[in-house]
Amino acid sequence: MNGHPLLEARHVTVRFDGLVAVDAVSAAFAAGELVGIIGPNGAGKTTFFNALSGVQPPTSGELYAMGQRLTGSKPHKYAGLGIARTFQTPRVFGALSVAANVDFGLQFAGRHRAGAWLLKDEDSILHVVGLAGQRDLPAAAITPSQQRQLEIGMALATRPKLLLLDEVAAGLTEAEVDSMAQLIRRLRDELDLTVIWIEHAVTTLLKYVERVIVLHQGRKIADGLPAEVVRNAEVIEAYLGDEMVEMA
Amino acid sequence: MTPLAWLELIASGLITGGIYALVGLGLNLQYGLMRILNIAHGEFLMLGAFLTWMAATVWGLNPLLMIPVSFGLLMALGIAIHRLTFKRLAATSPDLDVFEARGLMVAFGLMFLVQNFAQVTWGADLRGYDFMTEPVALPGGGQFAGNKLVLLALSLAFSAALIVVLRLTLWGKGVRALMQSPTGAQLVGIDTTRLHPLMFGAGLGLSGVAGCLLSTAYTISPSMGEPYTVTALIVITLGGFGHMGGALAGGLALGVIEAVGMHFTNPSLKSLLSYVVFIGALLWKPNGLFNKRK
Amino acid sequence: MRHITSTDPWHVRLREALFGWVLDSRGLGRDAWVLFALTGWALAMPHYGSDFAVSLTLTCLMYVALATSWTLFCGSTRYLSLATSAFFGIGAYTGALLIDQFTWASVIGLGAAVAALVAVVMGSAVLHLRGTYFAVLTFGMTELIRHAVTYWEKQVTGTVGRVLTETPERDTVYLTVLGLAVLAVAVSMIVRRTRFGLALAGIGADEQRAMTLGVNTRLVKIAGFALTAAFAGAVGAAMSVRWTYIDPATVFNPFIGFQTVLIALIGGIATLWGPLIAAIVFSVLAETLRLQAPQAYLMALGLLLILCVLYLPGGLASLRWASFIAWRDDVRGWWREREAKAKRAARREREARYGVGS
Repeated sequence: MNGHPLLEARHVTVRFDGLVAVDAVSAAFAAGELVGIIGPNGAGKTTFFNALSGVQPPTSGELYAMGQRLTGSKPHKYAGLGIARTFQTPRVFGALSVAANVDFGLQFAGRHRAGAWLLKDEDSILHVVGLAGQRDLPAAAITPSQQRQLEIGMALATRPKLLLLDEVAAGLTEAEVDSMAQLIRRLRDELDLTVIWIEHAVTTLLKYVERVIVLHQGRKIADGLPAEVVRNAEVIEAYLGDEMVEMA
Repeated sequence: MTPLAWLELIASGLITGGIYALVGLGLNLQYGLMRILNIAHGEFLMLGAFLTWMAATVWGLNPLLMIPVSFGLLMALGIAIHRLTFKRLAATSPDLDVFEARGLMVAFGLMFLVQNFAQVTWGADLRGYDFMTEPVALPGGGQFAGNKLVLLALSLAFSAALIVVLRLTLWGKGVRALMQSPTGAQLVGIDTTRLHPLMFGAGLGLSGVAGCLLSTAYTISPSMGEPYTVTALIVITLGGFGHMGGALAGGLALGVIEAVGMHFTNPSLKSLLSYVVFIGALLWKPNGLFNKRK
Repeated sequence: MRHITSTDPWHVRLREALFGWVLDSRGLGRDAWVLFALTGWALAMPHYGSDFAVSLTLTCLMYVALATSWTLFCGSTRYLSLATSAFFGIGAYTGALLIDQFTWASVIGLGAAVAALVAVVMGSAVLHLRGTYFAVLTFGMTELIRHAVTYWEKQVTGTVGRVLTETPERDTVYLTVLGLAVLAVAVSMIVRRTRFGLALAGIGADEQRAMTLGVNTRLVKIAGFALTAAFAGAVGAAMSVRWTYIDPATVFNPFIGFQTVLIALIGGIATLWGPLIAAIVFSVLAETLRLQAPQAYLMALGLLLILCVLYLPGGLASLRWASFIAWRDDVRGWWREREAKAKRAARREREARYGVGS
């Protein structure tokens, strides 16, 4: 790989009619990183993801993938370069079967990209995310947490290099969050992915990620190792509270 | 061209513009508030025109008396239509885009329904009657037919009245609140189920009044409605969806643009010009020219 | 669906190479048989049918072609185009202008090509907007094109309308329209099973999601729109010779677009056979009733469209046995509720009169 980071955001700002959702956030992501993004509600995390995946063109700032300028390109270009994402509220194709949903990505962005053996067809992917038993059900008929797993499967079908996961563990029990985190870790290790993960289950996330970015009111207020970030005074005041420090 | 000629041209543009503003305001109430793109709006204008014509020719009533009658009748019709159709659509559509699309299709069907009803009832010929046709000399020069001046005055008056009502009365504030934030408005107790049919009806009522006024000065026919629908669409696009003052300004501006354009190019280009402006406006500024938001 | 690798045996790889672009061949055979049978019947019509019957079938076939190609794009992507009349008219005018200089086949082809070109231009400007804006804009563009052609006719040629002198015979026109209808159905059948069709369906289901999964939605939409326009243009070119005199009001008649949309919506916007059956039904109605009482017929159509959108948004094709069961259960439930209410009211009255426990 060339010397450029896999994905780089430079002073990305997203403004909606006077409301600044993302405020000059810069971050670079290298291959193989497992990064967590945390922050209070309304901190701009999902909007930042929208910018990173091309869904929301930034009002100002630049986005680069491996040195190639991507700012303002359509989402399918991002997908073609290997940037895949899930949506916070699952957006699956309800009328299609679970297998067909996963197959969709394989037919388009994932079609000409070399894939690991784990991602060779929709059944393997379903097996990885644990939905092999539901393969023929319509996607609208499975439970919301299964739909979240399907979202991950659909993203994996594009055979990405970088996976943006948006609150995939919402609504899960603590044990389930833990297995989800292990799955994510495993995906990163076995598929050679970079994973950026937004989550509210901060304790679990901090256990598994290697780097944490904290967003607050659109700005990045911390970026580093979990152990350092939890001691950051601004982060504690804005989000974590004193209990976190004791846990870390 | 002399200043007087310019003045006359602009004034005649304002006269048609006044009607455009009225129709645009009516459509704005429907789309801006309820996202109902009533592509049949012009047909109801035509109904108002024909009702007035009937009243004037068959019963000899003064058309000005028909103004409140047209408003009332068409408002009632609008409430009925809303109850029968759009209310159900709102209940059964999974999301706003689907509701808008289905609403458009329903309006499309209404367009054919109403237009052909008129053709069956009144025949496809042009109709008209005389009302205040004697020219009136204005101070400062220029002569206009009396009916056209009345038309301008009344259409401006009604448009202004609507804007004032929306701005100053509590009820009008409710409507504006609804336009900005449907859920927020409901949370503070504004009753959308009563307000929506009323507003839809009011929009059609305005259309009917416009038709009534039009019939005093121009000939009418069952197919006259469609150009006014397009004009209303242009007006609300130029002025911004839901933006009442913008619709008023947009309507008047459009009237003047048309008058000037027709004068300098060719009268038969009128429809062409309207459509070009429409498409241009929608492509260039989907949120409206006067819209303060980005 | 399996994905083939180099370790698979040669005959599997060959099959994939030949048919890999077809996603799902189940049902393709069955559909093809039905199409074959209908085509055979339609081919026989000119030989034993009366003039009226042939004319009726011709109208049928025209709407089959129009509605099927409309559904192909608009049904999947849910971008409702009201521009069918425009493309039909463009095809008709192209045909009328060129019929003296080109062969019949070229005329049809050119009608399709010009319409497709206009669609590409229109689509590039307009398809990035939301569905409703798109629909209104196609409506506006149709009227714009009609007025433009009328104006051009008046100014440039001094006449409105043109007379067609050299027209091919009735059977040629019939076979052409039949061919176009068969082609439209066949293309529909095939596209549904290709990646292009999947992309169209994805756009209709959730456009943004499809984009993030790698679909170049803009290109796909323009291609789909152009395809639908090409068919309308070809049909227009073919039908233009039926009327020996054409003018903008006839060929750009909004009724054509309206009937197409109506047929597609009532037939079932997302299905293949729904629009086809509805096309047949409505063509029969149109040819028989429309001449008697045109306004009443149009009023009935308008009403029908409204009722369809309100009560049967999926069209007739979405009627399933399950829907009837559901309706029956709904009615039963409503009836039971009424009875229960009546009983409660009666009991309250008794208690009021005679005290509790009577």
